[in-house]
Amino acid sequence: MGHPIREWVIEKTLKHPKRTIVVSLFLTIMMASGAQYFVIDDDMMKMLPKNMPSRVAWDNVMEEFGNTDMVYVTFGIRDEKGINPKMLSSLWDFTRALEDMPEVEKVTSITTTERLDSEDGFMEVSDLQYTRDLYPEEVEDIQNYLDNNENIKKQLLSRNEDYLNVVIQPVKKAPFDVLSHNVKNLGNELLSDYETQYGGAAYITGMVPGLIRDDVAMLMRAGMLIMVLILLVNLRSVAGVGMVLMTIVLSLVFMLGFMGWVYRLTGSEKFLFTMMNTSMPIILLTIANSDGVHMIAKFFKELRKRRNTQEAVRVAMDSLLIPIFLTSITTSAAFLAMVFAPIEQMIGYGISISAGILWAWILSSTMLPALISLKKWKMDSKAVTHASIFEKGIDILAKQVAKHPKYILTAGLFLVSIGGFGVTMVEVDVNFSSFFKKGTELRDGMDFMEEEMSGTMDVRVRVEGDIKDPENLQSLIELQNYMEEEPKVGMSFSIANMVQQMHKTIMDDDPKYETIPDTRGKVNNLFTMYSFSGDPDAFESLVDYDYEVGLVTAMSKTLHTNEILTFVKGIESYVIESFPEGLSAMVTGMAVVFRDLVFLIVKSSLISIIVSIFVIGGIASLFFRKLHWGFLAVVPLTAAVILNFGFMGIFDVKLSHITAILASIIIGVGVDFAIHYIAQFRRYSRDRSKYDNLSRKVIDDVGYPIVLDAASNMGFGALLFSAFVPIQYIGGLMVFAMVSTSLGTLTVLAAMTELLKKKIIEQ
Amino acid sequence: MKKIILFISFLTFGMSQSGVEIAQMVDDRATPKDMTSSTTMVLTNKKGKTRTAKIFSKSINNNKKQIMWFLSPKDDKGVAFLKIEHDDKDDEMRMWLPAFKKIRRISSKKKGDSFMGSDLSYEDMSSREINENTFTRLDDELVDGVDCYVIEAVPNRDLRSSYSKHKTWIDKNLIMAVKEESYDRLGNLKKIKSFKNELVGKYRVMAGIFVKDVQNNHTTNITFDDLKLDTGIKANLFHEKNLKRLPRN
Repeated sequence: MGHPIREWVIEKTLKHPKRTIVVSLFLTIMMASGAQYFVIDDDMMKMLPKNMPSRVAWDNVMEEFGNTDMVYVTFGIRDEKGINPKMLSSLWDFTRALEDMPEVEKVTSITTTERLDSEDGFMEVSDLQYTRDLYPEEVEDIQNYLDNNENIKKQLLSRNEDYLNVVIQPVKKAPFDVLSHNVKNLGNELLSDYETQYGGAAYITGMVPGLIRDDVAMLMRAGMLIMVLILLVNLRSVAGVGMVLMTIVLSLVFMLGFMGWVYRLTGSEKFLFTMMNTSMPIILLTIANSDGVHMIAKFFKELRKRRNTQEAVRVAMDSLLIPIFLTSITTSAAFLAMVFAPIEQMIGYGISISAGILWAWILSSTMLPALISLKKWKMDSKAVTHASIFEKGIDILAKQVAKHPKYILTAGLFLVSIGGFGVTMVEVDVNFSSFFKKGTELRDGMDFMEEEMSGTMDVRVRVEGDIKDPENLQSLIELQNYMEEEPKVGMSFSIANMVQQMHKTIMDDDPKYETIPDTRGKVNNLFTMYSFSGDPDAFESLVDYDYEVGLVTAMSKTLHTNEILTFVKGIESYVIESFPEGLSAMVTGMAVVFRDLVFLIVKSSLISIIVSIFVIGGIASLFFRKLHWGFLAVVPLTAAVILNFGFMGIFDVKLSHITAILASIIIGVGVDFAIHYIAQFRRYSRDRSKYDNLSRKVIDDVGYPIVLDAASNMGFGALLFSAFVPIQYIGGLMVFAMVSTSLGTLTVLAAMTELLKKKIIEQ
Repeated sequence: MKKIILFISFLTFGMSQSGVEIAQMVDDRATPKDMTSSTTMVLTNKKGKTRTAKIFSKSINNNKKQIMWFLSPKDDKGVAFLKIEHDDKDDEMRMWLPAFKKIRRISSKKKGDSFMGSDLSYEDMSSREINENTFTRLDDELVDGVDCYVIEAVPNRDLRSSYSKHKTWIDKNLIMAVKEESYDRLGNLKKIKSFKNELVGKYRVMAGIFVKDVQNNHTTNITFDDLKLDTGIKANLFHEKNLKRLPRN
């Protein structure tokens, strides 16, 4: 006699299968109707915690100087001179059209650049390109001016001067995804005669989430197809596979509807579907698949034995309702641990996926058995009469584990210790260029810009002090020199450069005066003179209105996370040692913020892994009423997590915010396997007649659905064909995770329980 | 006598004046021969931050010759500016940079540029010649309860103005502008100016201007204090050598 609640569920489900199905479908549709409020948001900036110190500093910089993350566009024809009338006309049209975009604050190109000339000693500020269509001599004049001002030329032209550069500063809080798409569409329209490349942090962060999601969506379909094929080959029943698939799909739409409703009712941005949530459907798929596969596999096994559908469903339900409930509760609890994450989207992620997991549990425990019970199964079909390939293979494994538990445990521990060694070699990197395979449009654009431009990655130093003080201005120049010593830094600029240029101009263009003047009065006179001719807002991206805060910018080729760390540390040390009293500095910029964000994600992922393991262990101990069951439940997944990170370390797979989420999949699936194993182990251990062959019996019983579940989830190996390197890693590591968690359960856990069975089995 | 003529003209023409006639009336309005003032200029940027400058200035010929010395902020003290408008050649503009001890010429080509970072350009500060613009009268309107003529001035093409047109509200009683909108070359509204007028002695003169650049969301508020009119300022004051020292009064 089972637990009264379990009995009640079995009774109601099997007595009223149609009602069960209708109620399940109705409730799913009700929740799924929230999908109309489901919002996809590709704004990666929302991922950044608002109180993260580098984010606060960055926000301050943006408040003072506007957005510091740019979109770079470069266009031209290779080996043809970039400064020519036709290209300048195209540049004019493109620049003016960009300026009309609501997402654009400022455009820097030859069209918008001001030139400083000395005329009779007066500092004449005028437009470098004053109109769209220019005479050849005017074009030559622009070329000459740039030849005499190398630093400006570096910003506006490519290395070989065959491409023209356009730098687009977005407005504050501009949605980078909208901006990037609009800029690209405009480029396609106006620059179709040229080879055009796009890049910059704002562009990449704007384009990547959508591209990754589209890529993952396409590969997920392929993954699901493979999953269905594997299930079909093993279950040999279209109806059986269809029922599992129905459970998965209904759980998915329930989860998406749930996100929509919560967003609609609370307005909380935590429930927006961002790049971070891309992995949610994959995780829910694997977990829902696990529940369904266990139920259907157990049903076929029992049907083969009993030749009676109702009886077989009843036994399958009786045997699996508790394990499926337990796996769902533990996995949900593990994901709910994400509510303590510092990134808001992770909170919504944890809550929403928990809702999906719990719904998958309800459907697998009620609707799926109801569907099975309604179907008239052919007793002579191969699905019923013959064991599948996996079932036969499991039998061999079961014999070996029962026979050589010590060897298997030793081999398992050896592998885990190698993994443990590999963990120490794991490196964190969030370099966007390494996200893309060579040959993809984004990577080619980035490589092109790396090669041709002075840099598309900017490191910003916010300096605070009296910016008109010559000593402070000189310190900025020296800081720039220090920054330019980094080989990847192509150029740097600050208000100090403008002061040098103005000084030279006012001193009749004498190059020996391209210096910081010796008195504050002179510096001030330069600014005053500029205000008599130039745009009063011309310096707003370099210095604040009160000349108390300045911004030093170094343009660099892509820096890896470790290089950013070293570079930033170097700048900070330099500032402490060399800056005069009264002048302070802080390094910021998207690169620095993302560095901190990645560490935060990795740190919070590691914390949530540890918390999850404890929560799972705690729940399992509580349910199985002994601490050692909780410990055993977390053994396979802990071993798999160690192996996963060890594998990453050994094969130089970088830990990023994308690869870090794999641990969640391992925990989600790994705990299922372990709990199914332990539940059956305890169930069989009550029967003294099965004591000697206990492990073999358990493996024989749960091994098949575990292996089938793992194998079908390996369909997500299709992610290996992604255009994005981290997604490829996820594909590869997913296959690895399935192998490690399933084998970990069926070997290490099985060997441990076999060796400890005398001690752990309740009297 | 001038007032009587104006009054008779008003009665004679009534509502039938054209735009150019109204502009001419404004131009013909009695003005002082010279003017001395202490000017306060407050600039406010789009973030609401302000900068204040105090300037001592003298002018003659309806501001066609003007010299100004900067008194504050401390950083700008001693900087001086001289402007002389010519009918037959380019205007002259010069400035004195005390720290460099140099006088520098400012190009007259740059009339659309901002003056001292304010929302007034050199063009805004120069006289608007009647024969260089085409005036059209629009429907009369009330501005803050004041009955106004409304005229539109379109600069002639050869003027190379930075504006496409100006729309000016003129107080019918005082024949002085109270408000003006200036449109950029693309026809978009660029600046809104409000004028404050004051009676000093026998003259109605401008006592303040508030300019808002609606495209940059930047404002400039100028007030003219201690106005002294017809004090007999000599023409030879408007020479670059006088930029170097601040006059006593």
